Amino acid sequence: MKILVKGVGVGGLTVAYELLSHGLDVTVACPEGLAGSASWCAGGMLAPYCEGEHAPKIFEKLGLYGIQWWNNVLPEDVVRHGTLVLAPRRAHFELDRFAARTKGHSMLSADEIATLEPDLAGRFQRGLFFISEAHFDPRQALERLMIRLKQGGVSFIVSTEQEVLYDFVIDATGSSRLPLDRNLRGVRGEMLLIRTKDVHLSRPVRLLHPRIPLYVVPRKENIFMIGATMIESHNNRLMSVRSMMEFLNAAYALHPAFSEAEIIETGVGIRPAYANNFPRIERKQKFFFVNGFYRHGYLLAPEMARRIAHLVLHAESENEEL
Amino acid sequence: MRVHVNGEEVDVRASFLSDLLNELGFQGDWFATAVNNEFVARDEHASKRIEENDRIEVLSPMQGG
Amino acid sequence: MLRLYGQVISSRLLLGTAQYPSPAILEEAVRCSASNVITVSLRRETAGCAEGNRFYELMKRFRTYVLPNTAGCSSVKEAVLTAELARDLFKTNWIKLEVIGNQDTLQPDVFALVDATKILIEKGFEVFPYTTDDLSVASKLIEVGCKVLMPLCAPIGSAQGPRDTGCLRAMRASFPDIPLIVDAGVGRPSHAAMIMELGFDAILLNTAVAKAEDPVKMAKAFAQAIDAGRLGFQAGLLEPRDIAVSSTPVIGQAVFYEA
Repeated sequence: MKILVKGVGVGGLTVAYELLSHGLDVTVACPEGLAGSASWCAGGMLAPYCEGEHAPKIFEKLGLYGIQWWNNVLPEDVVRHGTLVLAPRRAHFELDRFAARTKGHSMLSADEIATLEPDLAGRFQRGLFFISEAHFDPRQALERLMIRLKQGGVSFIVSTEQEVLYDFVIDATGSSRLPLDRNLRGVRGEMLLIRTKDVHLSRPVRLLHPRIPLYVVPRKENIFMIGATMIESHNNRLMSVRSMMEFLNAAYALHPAFSEAEIIETGVGIRPAYANNFPRIERKQKFFFVNGFYRHGYLLAPEMARRIAHLVLHAESENEEL
Repeated sequence: MRVHVNGEEVDVRASFLSDLLNELGFQGDWFATAVNNEFVARDEHASKRIEENDRIEVLSPMQGG
Repeated sequence: MLRLYGQVISSRLLLGTAQYPSPAILEEAVRCSASNVITVSLRRETAGCAEGNRFYELMKRFRTYVLPNTAGCSSVKEAVLTAELARDLFKTNWIKLEVIGNQDTLQPDVFALVDATKILIEKGFEVFPYTTDDLSVASKLIEVGCKVLMPLCAPIGSAQGPRDTGCLRAMRASFPDIPLIVDAGVGRPSHAAMIMELGFDAILLNTAVAKAEDPVKMAKAFAQAIDAGRLGFQAGLLEPRDIAVSSTPVIGQAVFYEA
């Protein structure tokens, strides 16, 4: 059975990997390369509990499967150091609200925060620790997944015109389907990469703020990714001065030494989402469309990939919606 | 001709607002426009002449409280 | 029956549309609140997007009145321009006029508010001004032509509830014939009920519903609290008193003797 996967974001590559591991003949079409997808600008936080704050209950279970999947496939990439959630003193009530709506955490004192992240000693009175969450560098993960696929015999092609040659075509082209799928909408996410040797973090830190919640994720080589999301817009223009100021203010609030960091990249990703912010698989004859990962591509792609593989192998006919 | 649309520089051929909106792919009833901080009503789009360096804002509905 | 600028409004809960976990939950919350007026805003649009505006499509499905706001404006000129754009787009003369004076507290700049209101009313707008509970500002707004006032009861999104019921009472007493809608600061259904018991005409909510753990259930809770508060006000509330008064009549009570 020959299968064409369109798209090299996390949705496309995970489904290609899943199909390959079932011994199928997989080809991946990537006209624009890895850097074109929303996945390229992701934070890489594998945080099913934190994200559960605003997601339906089923999310947590599927997300834990996601962590497990990445840990099996790319064990050298996944860092299981948990997530630290902090709030400035004026917004401590946000911590209580967050704690009440999530599971899998413990409340930390100032001393416990200092033990976990020595560089943050004395800066925060209270925090939440989600011990079983993880993170990785999403770009490295995609690159490694691509290498694995190539090693397994998957060919990457530029053109997608030869769809007749395949038994199944899996469309994981994300936001490029916005004009074609009336139910999809774009949700803009912005990110900033900075580099400094003056601050060390070993896990993602989410800073709760009533107006500008955001997160800082440590990466290799003293790089930190600062991200915020949830702007209801498909506007893909570059990051605005206002966003940049908010990001930098928040980084400074987390640790003043960030003010000396170099700014190395800004990025904007348009995440496709359905009305319930949950992904969907739709089937039209030999075509499967998987889309609508919203801000949860890395967490939910493994589960959707598993389902598509199941559908392909058993050639069932119904649409799949979580 | 170079104009600014929502803060971004774009090159357009149109010399009237309605043509410019068409050229940039704005079709339908889901947006409103201003040129150089002056409101331009929908029925004036066709007669509104666009000049070099005009600042055009195109706004659409958004969630609000 | 609540009338706002001549329109009969079936629900005294006005609902904001921002900050919901998903569009699906927003749609369900609007439906379950039975709200008849939703507030919306404007933003810059991307050039060349063929897909139109998904939120606009969703909005039209609600079949409610639309009250556009001028959120984020901090000058008269900005607010007037935004109002004009909103009228062109939403085809309504209604405008929820916000002119923010302080970025930390999001309090209105009441001087700019009065100026902008004057200009907009001359242009034929029907202005819903986001104002403070200050009576002289309220008088000025009415003088320039407002037929509805929307005082805050606490900072926007703060969920503190009515901080100064004395001021709210005074406002109600001073303007018995002007529809008064509390616009900001309500956090809980009990806050809403309390404000309605004071005789306010309606409540505009957003954060308290959208950021609740279950926004749909919270929308229902507020709808019921607002109805209960309104009924309580109409029924005539008992004033608190210092002495206990037995609720059971004492006439005809049996007399028992201790042995």
